[in-house]
Amino acid sequence: MTRTKQQPLHFEFRANQTFDDFFPGSNVEIIDHLQKSITGNGESQIFLWGQAGLGKSHLLQACCHQAQSLQLSSFYFALSPSELPDPALLKGLDKFDIVCFDNIEHIAGDSVWETAFFNFFNLHRDQDHTLILSAACPPNEIAIRLPDLKTRLNWGLTLKIPPLSDDDRITALIFKADQMGFEISPKAGRFLLTHYDRNLSSLWVLLTRLDKASLAAKRKLTLPFLRQILREEPHDD
Amino acid sequence: MSSIWDNCLTKLENEIAGSDFSTWIRPLQAIESDGQIKLLAPNRFVLDWVKQHYFAKIEESIHEFSNGKLDLNLEIGSKKSTTPAVITSVKPVEIKKTSPNFLNKAFTFDNFVEGKSNQLARAASLQVSENIGKAYNPLLIYGSSGLGKTHLMHAIGNAVFQKKPSATIVYLHSEKFVQDMVRALQQNSINSFKEYYRGIDVLLIDDIQFFAGKERSQEEFFHTFNTLLDKKHQIVLTCDKYPKEIIGLEDRLKSRFGCGLPVSIEPPDMETRAAILMKKAAQVNVALPQEVAFFIAKKIPFNVRDLEGALRRVIANAQFTGREITTEFTKEALHDLISLKDKLVNMDNIQKTVAEYFKIRVADLSSKNRKQTVTRPRQMAMCLARELTSHSFPEIGDAFGGRDHTTVMNACKKINELKESDHKIAEDYSNLLRTLSH
Repeated sequence: MTRTKQQPLHFEFRANQTFDDFFPGSNVEIIDHLQKSITGNGESQIFLWGQAGLGKSHLLQACCHQAQSLQLSSFYFALSPSELPDPALLKGLDKFDIVCFDNIEHIAGDSVWETAFFNFFNLHRDQDHTLILSAACPPNEIAIRLPDLKTRLNWGLTLKIPPLSDDDRITALIFKADQMGFEISPKAGRFLLTHYDRNLSSLWVLLTRLDKASLAAKRKLTLPFLRQILREEPHDD
Repeated sequence: MSSIWDNCLTKLENEIAGSDFSTWIRPLQAIESDGQIKLLAPNRFVLDWVKQHYFAKIEESIHEFSNGKLDLNLEIGSKKSTTPAVITSVKPVEIKKTSPNFLNKAFTFDNFVEGKSNQLARAASLQVSENIGKAYNPLLIYGSSGLGKTHLMHAIGNAVFQKKPSATIVYLHSEKFVQDMVRALQQNSINSFKEYYRGIDVLLIDDIQFFAGKERSQEEFFHTFNTLLDKKHQIVLTCDKYPKEIIGLEDRLKSRFGCGLPVSIEPPDMETRAAILMKKAAQVNVALPQEVAFFIAKKIPFNVRDLEGALRRVIANAQFTGREITTEFTKEALHDLISLKDKLVNMDNIQKTVAEYFKIRVADLSSKNRKQTVTRPRQMAMCLARELTSHSFPEIGDAFGGRDHTTVMNACKKINELKESDHKIAEDYSNLLRTLSH
């Protein structure tokens, strides 16, 4: 059976999301600012923005992981476009040293959430705690209706995660595979990019699958073997 | 942290998807005692979710690492003691003496940059801090978000606290007042709530527009307000607009809010914006060249928080790269921000926004129509174009039906004069500036 491009993959990549296993690429400065913030030597508010699949969620979770290693309390939440949780979720979060909200743009237009988040923001900031937010677009482009909240989103350090070139993605694939303990050639990397979803999180899921297949067959990931694995139906773990 | 819980975390981290682990498991705080591990969740929402989805998994891990000796107990709570910024209305009297009144010490009169747009508000605030309850009571500072209202409010509180540390000064956001009142009602402690708020010497309430539509809170605040005023205790309020314009606020409150001194804060002019940037940079020991300050001030035309955000980006980038802060460097550092603003603010966009605002046709702005309903918007659009774009006077004249550059110069002069003398013109200009800047 021939695979089409952009195959959906249905399970989440399960691994520690740390700074060490993040492919830094051109994001060295961003990592530096985030790490400084977590250790209390940087900005108390960072807003990361960039298109999906560049590692924003990974970075936010890495912040929480680092916070844990420093015995700091942390909370991470990924907001979804389909349904916002009860704003009661925010209660008590102002006491956390580090709070990360992924996809913050999804609260725009929901007046209850905007107000609740505004209140949380003020309480959290008053206690000198660190807030890290991410979105697909910069704060100014988020259609927040509450002006007081909108101006506050711009207040901190806003950093753009630049898009990755295909060469960067291949290097990232090689980096990730190396971390997982196997090798992947640039040729194989290019093959994956042309046949599958180029979104990094999807590629990490794919790598997990390839790793398992390679281990099971005790074979290196050569191009013919790669083709053979991918001819099989993708399956959820 | 409990070592058993540490082991559980390591195990669970490998069993639960990364984002779920960071949301539901990592935030739990563990206390190990009396044959159990108590895990504290920040709120009911998290507690219920963890109970429903992860209880069995967590319990299994705890049994494994404690050899079955410890049981799991999940509760709402926090290991840290209550922080000073959180007012617990149930026992409010206990915190008012000991807490440093919820003021942000970083906001003082010394580091407030004065300009034409805010000098009246600053002077009135200073007066109030020197003559509590006597100078202007209540003092109401109003203006758009991010122009320094909260800064002045904290500055008043800090100045009073310095002179009279025994004074009960409380800063809070109006939403906090509402939340405290709701909690007091739920917990049957409304009397201690009243006693607490009515015993404050200097009450600083931010963003009173949030009282809109909350009738019970308005009622309670009205009485608190009157009691404090009767006792000649000081009240300072901020609002994003003149209270009479707030929809959903009772008339009696509108009238009471305006009975002292209402002062407005307008968006800072370019010189003030540059001065703010230089002062903010100096506070973190960065010497910001004047030309760079003016460059950023030109590109970020409206809001002080936006200015601070841009400055943070420049300084952070300079510190990371070790490069000197020049205009060229600043252009690079703010590339994303500036290109976005340039994309949004251009001559066409200004004309379209102004025409929509005044409900006239875009073509009218370039026409020879000399009716005031058209000339005033035209002048305003020219003035906005001069402030928000880098176009020259002749270029702006060309875009408005081929008018002479002196017409544009006169338009800018006229609007700047009117902004000083006509409240409505100042507000229209401020609204348009805000619309175009975001």
